[in-house]
Amino acid sequence: MKFTRRNFLAWAGISAVGAVGCDVFGSEGQELRLQSPVMQPEDLVKGRDNWYATLCRQCPTSEGVLVRVMEGRAKKVQGNPMYPVNWGKQSARCDAGLQALYHPERLAGPMRRTGARGSGEFAPTTWQQGLDTLSAQLGERGNGLLLVTEPIRAHQALISSRFANAFGGRHLGFEALDQTTYRAAVKDVYGQDLLPDFDLAHANFLLSFGADFLSTWVSPTRWSVGYGDFRQGEGRTQRGTHVQVEPRFSMTAASADKWVPIKPGIEGYLALSLAHVIISENLQAVSTDVNALTGGQGAAALANFSPDQVGPMLELPAAMLKGHSPADWIRELARDFAGHTPALAIGGDSAAAHSNGLFNLEAIYALNYLVGSVGEVGGVRFNPGSPIADLPAASTVGTMADWTSVAGDIREGRTRLLMVHSADPVYGLPASVGFGDALNRDDLFIVSFSPFMNETTAMADLILPDRIYLEDWGSDIPEPAPGYQVLGIQQPVVNPLSDLDPRSFVDVLLSTAQELDRDGDLPWGSLQQALRETSDALFALNRGSVEATSAGEFWNSLLRQGGWWDERETGPSASAPNGLYNQIANRAAQPIFSGEGMYLMPFSHNTLLDGRNTHLPWAQAAPDPITTITWQSWVEINQRQMEEMGFREGDIVQVRSSQGSITAPVYPNPAMRPDVVGVPLGQGRRHGPEYAIVGDDRESSNVLSILASSQVEGTGALAWASNRVQVSSTGESIRIVKFEGEFTSREIGNQIDNNPSEEIIKTTSPGASH
Amino acid sequence: MVTNRIDHKWGMVVDLDKCTGCQACVVACQAENNLPINTKDFFLQKRAYEWIRIERYWEGEYPNVKARFIPVLCQHCENAPCEPVCPVYATYRNDDGLNVQIYNRCVGTRYCINNCPYQVRFFNFWQPNWPERLKNQLNPDVTIRTRGITEKCTFCVQRLRRAELQVERVSGERLNDEKLKAGNYAPACTQACPTNALMFGDQNDAESKIRPYFDDVNTFDIHHEEERTTRGYRLLEEINTRPSIIYLKKVDQYPLNEDEDHV
Amino acid sequence: MQEGRPLSPTEINRDLLRSILDTPRWFWPVVGILATIVLAAAITIGIMINSGLGITGLNRPVVWGFFITNFVFWIGISHAGVMLSAILRLAKAEWRRPATRAAEVLTIFSLITALSMPIIHTGRPWRAIYWFFPYDFARGIWPNVRTPLVWDPSAIFTYLTSSTLFVLIALIPDFAVLRDHTTGLTHRIYSLLAMGWEGNPRQWKMQILSGVLLSALILPVFVSVHSIVSWDFGMAVAAKTWHSSIFAPYFVVGAVHSGVSAVVFVLIILRYIYGWQAYIRHEHVDALGRLLIVVATGWFYFFVMEVIFGIYGREADEIAVRELQFFIWPISGWTLVFVITTYFIPVALWLTKAARRNLWIMSLACISVNIGMWLERYIIIVPGLMNRGVFTFTWNDYVPRFPEMIIIAATFAFVSMLLLLFSRVFPLVPLYDIKEGEFLRTEVKIGRRVVPATFRED
Ligand SMILES: Nc1nc2c(c(=O)[nH]1)N[C@H]1C(S)=C(S)[C@@H](COP(=O)(O)OP(=O)(O)OC[C@H]3O[C@@H](n4cnc5c(=O)[nH]c(N)nc54)[C@H](O)[C@@H]3O)O[C@H]1N2
Ligand code: SF4
Ligand code: SF4
Ligand code: SF4
Ligand code: SF4
Ligand code: SF4
Repeated sequence: MKFTRRNFLAWAGISAVGAVGCDVFGSEGQELRLQSPVMQPEDLVKGRDNWYATLCRQCPTSEGVLVRVMEGRAKKVQGNPMYPVNWGKQSARCDAGLQALYHPERLAGPMRRTGARGSGEFAPTTWQQGLDTLSAQLGERGNGLLLVTEPIRAHQALISSRFANAFGGRHLGFEALDQTTYRAAVKDVYGQDLLPDFDLAHANFLLSFGADFLSTWVSPTRWSVGYGDFRQGEGRTQRGTHVQVEPRFSMTAASADKWVPIKPGIEGYLALSLAHVIISENLQAVSTDVNALTGGQGAAALANFSPDQVGPMLELPAAMLKGHSPADWIRELARDFAGHTPALAIGGDSAAAHSNGLFNLEAIYALNYLVGSVGEVGGVRFNPGSPIADLPAASTVGTMADWTSVAGDIREGRTRLLMVHSADPVYGLPASVGFGDALNRDDLFIVSFSPFMNETTAMADLILPDRIYLEDWGSDIPEPAPGYQVLGIQQPVVNPLSDLDPRSFVDVLLSTAQELDRDGDLPWGSLQQALRETSDALFALNRGSVEATSAGEFWNSLLRQGGWWDERETGPSASAPNGLYNQIANRAAQPIFSGEGMYLMPFSHNTLLDGRNTHLPWAQAAPDPITTITWQSWVEINQRQMEEMGFREGDIVQVRSSQGSITAPVYPNPAMRPDVVGVPLGQGRRHGPEYAIVGDDRESSNVLSILASSQVEGTGALAWASNRVQVSSTGESIRIVKFEGEFTSREIGNQIDNNPSEEIIKTTSPGASH
Repeated sequence: MVTNRIDHKWGMVVDLDKCTGCQACVVACQAENNLPINTKDFFLQKRAYEWIRIERYWEGEYPNVKARFIPVLCQHCENAPCEPVCPVYATYRNDDGLNVQIYNRCVGTRYCINNCPYQVRFFNFWQPNWPERLKNQLNPDVTIRTRGITEKCTFCVQRLRRAELQVERVSGERLNDEKLKAGNYAPACTQACPTNALMFGDQNDAESKIRPYFDDVNTFDIHHEEERTTRGYRLLEEINTRPSIIYLKKVDQYPLNEDEDHV
Repeated sequence: MQEGRPLSPTEINRDLLRSILDTPRWFWPVVGILATIVLAAAITIGIMINSGLGITGLNRPVVWGFFITNFVFWIGISHAGVMLSAILRLAKAEWRRPATRAAEVLTIFSLITALSMPIIHTGRPWRAIYWFFPYDFARGIWPNVRTPLVWDPSAIFTYLTSSTLFVLIALIPDFAVLRDHTTGLTHRIYSLLAMGWEGNPRQWKMQILSGVLLSALILPVFVSVHSIVSWDFGMAVAAKTWHSSIFAPYFVVGAVHSGVSAVVFVLIILRYIYGWQAYIRHEHVDALGRLLIVVATGWFYFFVMEVIFGIYGREADEIAVRELQFFIWPISGWTLVFVITTYFIPVALWLTKAARRNLWIMSLACISVNIGMWLERYIIIVPGLMNRGVFTFTWNDYVPRFPEMIIIAATFAFVSMLLLLFSRVFPLVPLYDIKEGEFLRTEVKIGRRVVPATFRED
């Protein structure tokens, strides 16, 4: 064919039409799909992964987790769906455990002090030498031994306390904001030694005083799982109502239906007044024996707590009452509470941390008797404790009274050997206790087992770094347990990296005791062996969640499940002590504050907690739920109040208590009692990995350091909410490190007539739901 | 090499009445998806990465003030504005109903970031940087994004792929014969969320937990919003991006504007 | 009305080739300074590529900033070339003659500069190959033709190609003149470029015909280029103020406004540095000034309409951005400067003949327009991205940093440098066009007015 211009055009046209035609009519639909040629690496996954069940130790709750392991490296930690405490769920702290495992500044091996104490100068040493030194010191000063750990239970607790006893020393748990007062209230009101479980999922009304239970209080993940069901559980006909009574607007208050900004320390009065209304209006549950509770006196037992008397004490803002009297408001709340059973009253955190904290909590927890939710569905459930005798189901934690006497013991040379594991009392105790100063004694020998530098470790003579929990054995009896017996098992999911040489703390205790012939009570070569013995004992019980035909099979299944539990082995029941209300009414006292000015409310940080996670970048970088601040301390003050005081966001303010002062940038919080300042725990470290000491004094401060060492009456715990402070400007100002936009979310509302939250977070009233 | 997949259409339901703003989902996502560490500087530069973020809004004045939390992640829009603007098809909707992002194709124009009404796309302004030892944690199933690349939530597509392999292994059959159920596959955020505010499932699966919410919202579109029987709605519904995420309204027990005789 | 004295072809050759045949003393130092600025920017770009765009002020959600602003600006400048050459050539406007070459060359250089901006903006320029060239077609992946980011390079490359051809065709007769004035290697190069031009009637006819044809072909391209650039914004639904249907004509008129002003400024500079008083005359500047009044007012109409259309819908987000643009410091300050410098200052000056004929005032007015037009793009692009939508968590500011500043400065240095270097090798005022003009300067009297006879042989 001759190739002419005409031919060319004709062929070009035919091919074009043909090409389009083939494409549109001829091909299968999928060929037009794009994704096949653009496969991503995610589409080409290679290799197999393993998920190991173990326990998380990122916070004292210690929950069941699964760890994904590939090629000997842990990749992801997430909740263990079988574990009956957290049911496969987790907190923002949980994932951060991997960063402890692979932390760039993990201490590689044993070290001994080379500089002056506290200078932070150390030189590497060998395990042989380190252990020899430890043995020598124990031999020499064992009877002056104080072993400080985090609050621990089960095997670690058993071995730690037996170890201390073997040398004539003492074991004490340390926690900055401890639960001693709560524990005491549970004991007084319910007669229980173990912390109870709350059946939030089935409650209809939740009255919470101070407890930041969705964020950090006691067992937040467990409470959150229950809270989801409390709100919109499947098969629920009525959505639960949550009223949060606390001076500070915590993350939990933010989720509540109603936040009641009560005057600090008056929680117990409100609780007794509610009881007064319930009794005098006869609103109590049918099963409730009011006579027994009030020593036969009825409402008269609480005569001093009538709404008319208590109402004005609460100092509730008038705008909240909307024209009603505070007394009427109390009556209304009491009717709502008693009228929506199952109703549940809980309390903790700041409510417990006043001088009258024990009174507050007792008054709060006693309410559950009135509404009949003790031991019932949707109420308080008690725990049976350990399935194996000897194995502690509760942690022993030192109170402020204990620490004050410990500091005295050290100062006077009675305590001459300090072994510290997973606790940082130098950081966590108020400076007014003088604990850090006491450690400066020359004849005191300090051994730290911390895998990371911190304030206490920096004072140590010898550092024998422990394994991270993902490399180590362990066990836990959760507290609170879910109302039945549980024993969680922690197993090593990976080996330490080759450039690290840590040793298991408990194994070091066991081998040292053996070497010094103090192993009478410690007949195990290793923690693993002790666990295996317990496994065999559980197998012998022949009940519970692990089914096996042989002890070996039982052990394997136990490890695979991450623990053992027996749903039928539930806790005891409780009955009210006679005259409980008379007793509580007698205890009534106004809170005592040290210092002048605004009420200081320190609070546990959502991810850093009391500062134990400060070295983990994921924990540092997780925005605080309310302020969205990261990597920094801050001072929260009511927005209006702040304007009146002449502060602007980011101004560095000085917070001065009777004991000292700290500085931090100020953040305007629209939801805050005007006479309260909130300061989170966690920052202000001067020793530690780079991530932990980010920021200078102006923005990174330890609020614990300025607390007065006042104690809760009757428990000796630190009354950490009993300080009043002066807030003043330093003249400096910085940009706050926060996730929120440059402009507060209100700004748009001023500009154009609508509120963004209404537009994107639509709300509906309860009747309209479902 | 196109496999004849069952057409899944994955979706999520976010119950605002359950979300407590706890940040568990945020950190879980960062751990799962190799997000660079959000340093202090990243926050100050306003370049922090959070594929899922919790926005907190205030309503009212003290003492009648409320904080509202809303988790915002990629909405996996059916009609995604981010997709048509990408010159190289680095972002597109795949057969699983996921809006995926192919990092090695992205040329860094950032047009998609401008065109996402939900602002859930993140640009790597810096070369991501992990201390040597922390790299051991990185998820081998997820690409590390270098500087100059846009990234976003992928509905944890790597978990979907793993789940497919798993189903294939267990059933011994190709996926087109065995339907992958929602139970096999949950993104990291959904798995973590302690209150179960996040729910995940297949919109095409009649038994899926999330299905009724989608049916409801699809049946009664924005013009008949008041006829919906659930609390469901989509974010910025009026722009018709048709997200694969349905939000359930927050229940306000004591609305601020009501004159309450109540506690 | 033609002004000035008649010029002989020899004189024209001498004057206009002066820039090529002699090197003024200031030439290399000035080029050196400009080159230093360009080099500094090149180093900055190197650092930026190496460490990432983090060193700029770009952040979330303002991911387009100075680079894209500058891109639109230079695309705008590039419109002068066609505007003057093509339209005026087709319209046979006599006074275009000295202006065309500089305008066309400015088009090419500003296009090249503009093209570099998005590539620098991506942070890793080598990846742009995916974007412009569909080499992945073996795997069935083609560029996404739905995105303005593919229309954009297509239009710009077409424009670049056609403008380059346009300039080259117009240069052929001048190459021949240069060929005849040089010796040695330069002679051989110019011979090659002149492609055997002898100036015979057939060659002249072909040259004129192709010039006219290209003018006609290029006009739609010229309109499309800036329309498409405007669609980079107009097609984006999420940035509220961008999503507007008026953008195409608004951008095109704005581009002509800034481009013609830039050409006027360049002409005045050339007149000054090469002593071309006889060629670039007050009458030319005057004419351009009058043209600019019309263009500026057209632009102003679109500007006002764009705002009115925007707020007419009464959408909260849109109004929030308008509020940001007009009432919130410091952006409101920039907006004020932009409106005044783009319209009120220059138009007020152009309204008087004395000002139009005063080269100083004209230069100032033209600089003012371009300051304003640069800010105009900034005011359109950046506040739109500051994202005053319902998600206030993503609201943010943008503050450019040093890298952006130096790179932006370098684009101006780069274009100036290229123009200077170009003037060293090619005549910036078309010789043959001027000669043709001289040839046609026979004046005729119509009524009481004397007008040039602008007939051609055709
Ligand atoms: N089902 C159905 N379909 C129809 C018709 C019908 O009767 N029934 N009629 C047909 C006819 S005749 C027509 S004309 C078309 C109309 O169809 P469209 O052109 O789609 O008209 P609308 O949907 O009314 O408006 C389009 C969008 O423009 C936005 N808008 C309003 N003002 C402005 C502004 O100033 N600037 C910008 N940028 N946007 C603005 C609106 O908010 C809306 O989102 O529909 C056709 N299709
Ligand atoms: S809440 Fe604490 S114990 Fe539970 S998973 Fe999270 S970090 Fe671990
Ligand atoms: S949410 Fe944004 S990024 Fe995700 S699909 Fe929709 S437009 Fe794209
Ligand atoms: S930044 Fe990447 S994904 Fe986004 S539009 Fe550009 S090339 Fe596409
Ligand atoms: S679905 Fe996966 S990628 Fe998306 S936000 Fe959740 S965890 Fe992150
Ligand atoms: S994990 Fe769940 S409850 Fe917590 S912030 Fe995320 S969505 Fe909300």
